[in-house]
Amino acid sequence: MTESMIILLAGIFLPLFPMSMVFNAVLDHIKQPWLRVLLFIAWPLCGVFIVFYSGVVIPDWVLTLALLTSTLYAFRMLSLREVNQWNGFLATSLWSLLWLAAMHDTPEMLLYGYALSMTVPLVLLLILSAGLEQRFGAAYTGLYGGLARTIPRFSGVLVTVIVAAIATPLFPTFFIMFDLVVETISIMPLAAMALLLIWLLWSWAGARLIQGLIVGRASNVKIADIGIPVIGFYSSVLLVLAIAGIYMSRVIL
Amino acid sequence: MNMEQLIIVVAVLPLISALLIQLFSTRIGRGAARLSVAMTTLSFLLSALLLTWALTGHGPQALSLGNSSAIMLFDPLGTLLATIILGISLIVHLYSVRYMAEEAAYGQFFVLLDLMTAALIFMVIAGDLITLVIAWYLVGVLLYFLLGQDTRSQTAYRFAFWTLITYRIGDLPLILAAALLYNAYDTWSLTIIFNEIMANPYAHQFLGLSLTEVVAALIGFAAFARSAQFLMHTWLPYTMDGPTPVSALMHAGIVNAGGFLINRFAPVFVNSGDVLNWIFIVGLVTAIFGSLLMLTQNDIKKALGYSTMGQMGFMIMECGIGAFSLAIYHMFAHGIFKGTMFLSAGGVINSARQDDGIPKDELYTFAVEKQPNKARKPWLLMAAITLVVPLVILVFAHLLIAEDYFQKQGAVILLFFGWVTGAQLIFATYRMRTQNIWRMVGLSVLSLVIVVLGYVFISHAFDLFLYPEPAFRAQLYTAASIDILRFDVLVVITTLIIVSGWVVTYYADQSGYRRRQQGKRLWLNFYALISREFYISDIYTRLTRTLLALSGRLNVWLRWL
Repeated sequence: MTESMIILLAGIFLPLFPMSMVFNAVLDHIKQPWLRVLLFIAWPLCGVFIVFYSGVVIPDWVLTLALLTSTLYAFRMLSLREVNQWNGFLATSLWSLLWLAAMHDTPEMLLYGYALSMTVPLVLLLILSAGLEQRFGAAYTGLYGGLARTIPRFSGVLVTVIVAAIATPLFPTFFIMFDLVVETISIMPLAAMALLLIWLLWSWAGARLIQGLIVGRASNVKIADIGIPVIGFYSSVLLVLAIAGIYMSRVIL
Repeated sequence: MNMEQLIIVVAVLPLISALLIQLFSTRIGRGAARLSVAMTTLSFLLSALLLTWALTGHGPQALSLGNSSAIMLFDPLGTLLATIILGISLIVHLYSVRYMAEEAAYGQFFVLLDLMTAALIFMVIAGDLITLVIAWYLVGVLLYFLLGQDTRSQTAYRFAFWTLITYRIGDLPLILAAALLYNAYDTWSLTIIFNEIMANPYAHQFLGLSLTEVVAALIGFAAFARSAQFLMHTWLPYTMDGPTPVSALMHAGIVNAGGFLINRFAPVFVNSGDVLNWIFIVGLVTAIFGSLLMLTQNDIKKALGYSTMGQMGFMIMECGIGAFSLAIYHMFAHGIFKGTMFLSAGGVINSARQDDGIPKDELYTFAVEKQPNKARKPWLLMAAITLVVPLVILVFAHLLIAEDYFQKQGAVILLFFGWVTGAQLIFATYRMRTQNIWRMVGLSVLSLVIVVLGYVFISHAFDLFLYPEPAFRAQLYTAASIDILRFDVLVVITTLIIVSGWVVTYYADQSGYRRRQQGKRLWLNFYALISREFYISDIYTRLTRTLLALSGRLNVWLRWL
C-alpha cells in the first residue's frame, strides 16, 4: 500500500476532510447508545494504530489539512442543536489534531493516551445525551430548555462534562492543547494561531450548547432527575480525568 | 512549615470550603454559607498576617506546591493582592448570606464564589506560567457561571457569554506568551525567566522582533480583554443581570486583573518601552470613551459599568506611563469604592423610596437642577485661582516625597491629570449659587489638599513596598518615556485644548450659544452616536449573526456530515 493510501485510510479515523464525513455518517446511522460509545472509543485508537503500525512519514500537507478540518468542524459546531451531532463534530475537530501530535514525535503510548483522554468526556456526553433522549424523546437544544430548574443534578453533570470536553483546565484536553501550542509556536506560528482559534470556537460552541439546554424556566412536567449513585459515578470519572490531566501536565509540559 | 508557606494555605482554604459544601450541601443546607464565610475569614486573617510579614521585609520566596511542579510566590505583589481579594471576597460573602437566601442554588452559589476566590488567589501568587494560565483561564469560566446564577434568565446568560468570549479571547495571547517564553528559556518559572530577561533582555528573537517586546505586547492584549479596554469593553456595562454580589466582586476585583498582569510582568515591560507607549494610548482612549459613555447613560447600572471602564482605562494608562505601583493603588481604591456602590445600591434605592434625603440647597440647584450662578466674580482672579492653586498643591505634595520627581515624564503626566481634575473642581465651585463663594472655594481647596496628600503618600508607600529597588522604579519611568520634544509639544497641545474647552464652556454659558440652531444637527448626530454607544455592540452582534448564519449554511451544504 502506498503512503498516500495509508494517509487516506488513517484520515478516516484521525479525521481529515472530506474523509471525516465517514465518521459522522456512521454516527448518524447508529442509534444504540452502547454502540455509539464503542465507536467513539475505537475510532481514534484505530487511527493512531494505523499511523504507528504503518510507520508512514506524515507529509506537511496533512498538517494543513488536519488544522483546516479541525477549524471547519469547530466552526460548524456553532450552529448545531442536536447534542449527538455536536458531540460527533467535536470529536472530529479534536481527533484531527492528533495528526499534529503525531508529527511532533509524540511516543506511541502517549498518543493513545491523548486519544483516550480526549474521548472520555465525549463518551460521558454520549451517555448523558442518551439520558436526554430517554426523558424527552430527543437531545436537542432550545427544544425544552430550563434543565437547570427541571433536573438540576443532571444539568450540573451535563455542564461539567461539556466544560471538560471543550479543553478547560484541569482536564487533559487543556494540557494537550497547551502542549500543541508550545510545540508549534516557534516553528509554525500560523499553526499555533489556528490552534488557538479552534480552542476559542470550542468555547463558543460549548457555551451555546449549555445555554440552549439548561437556561430557561422549569418544565411543568415532572421528570426524574439522576440519583446520588449516578452523580457519584460521573464525579469519579471526572475526578480521575482531572487527576490524569494534572499528571499529563507533568509529563508533557 | 515556615511562615511563607502559609500563602499556599491561604489559596487552598477556599478550595476546601468549596469541596466541603459541594459534598455536604444537602446535609448542611443553609450552613453552607456559614462554612464559606468562616473559611474566607480564616483565609483573610492569614493573608493579612502574611502581608504584615512581607511588610517587615520578609520574602520574596518561591515555594513548591507539594510534589508538583507548580510554584507559588510569596512576594509583595502577591500578598498585597491576596489580602485585597480576600477582603473584598469576605464582604461579598457576608452580603450574600442574606441577599442570596431566596435562591434555589444557594449552596452552589457559595461553591462558585469560593472557587472564584481560590482561582483569583492562585492567579496572583502563581510563580510559574502554567499555574498562571490555568488560574487566568478558570477565572473567566467561573465568572460565566456566577453571572448566570439565575438559570431562568436568558438575558443573564446572553451577557455572561459576552464576558466569557471576551475573556477567552484574552486568554489566547497569554497562552502564546507562555509558550514563547518556555521555548526561549526552557523553564516555566517566572522568577528564572525574569532574571534572565533582566540580565539580557534582547537575547531572543521571534519573527525578527525582540521576543521581550512580543511577549510584552501579548501580555498587554491579555490585560486589555480582562480589564475592558476600548473595543473589548462591551461585556462590562451589560453584565448587570448577574447577582449584585457578583457585580460587586467583578467590578471591585476581577476586572482589575489586567493591572495585576502588567505588574507581574514588570521585568518584561521595563525592557519594552514602545509597548508601554501603546498601552498608555489604549488606556487613554478607554478612559475618555468610558467616561463619555458614563456621562450619557440614563440607566444607573450601565453608568456604573462605564464608570468602571473609564477607571480601568486610567489604571492601564498609569501602567503605560511607568507608574506600575500606582495602578495597584488605583485598583485597590477603585475596588473599595465601586464595591461599596454596588453593595449599598439596594439599600439606597430602598431609602430613597421613602425619602430621597437630598437637601434642596445650593449644591442641589447646581448639580441636579443645573442652575449655575449668574453673578460672577472677577474672571481674571478666578481663572488664576483655578489654574494656579491645584498646581501649587500638587507640586508641593510631590516635592515632599522626591525632589527629582519632575524629571520623570510619567510623573508629569500624572500631575497634569491631577491639575486638570483640581482645576475642574474649583472651576465648578464658583459657578454655584451660594452666599459665600470664598467659603466654598476654601472647602474645595482643602478637600483637594487632603486628597492629593493622601494619594501622594499612599502611592509612594505602594511604590516602596512593591518595587523596593529605586533603580528599577526609575527604569520603569524611563522605559515609558518618549522623545522630550515630542513630549513637551504634546503637553502644550493638550493643555491648550483643555483650557480652550473651559473658555468655550464659559462663553457658551454666558451667551446662550447652546440655544442657537447653528450646529444643532451635528450635535444631534453626535448625541445619537453616543447614545448607541458608538455602535460597537451592534457591530459585534451583526458579526456574530453573520458567522452563525455562515456556520449553518456550511452545514446545509455539507449535509450535516
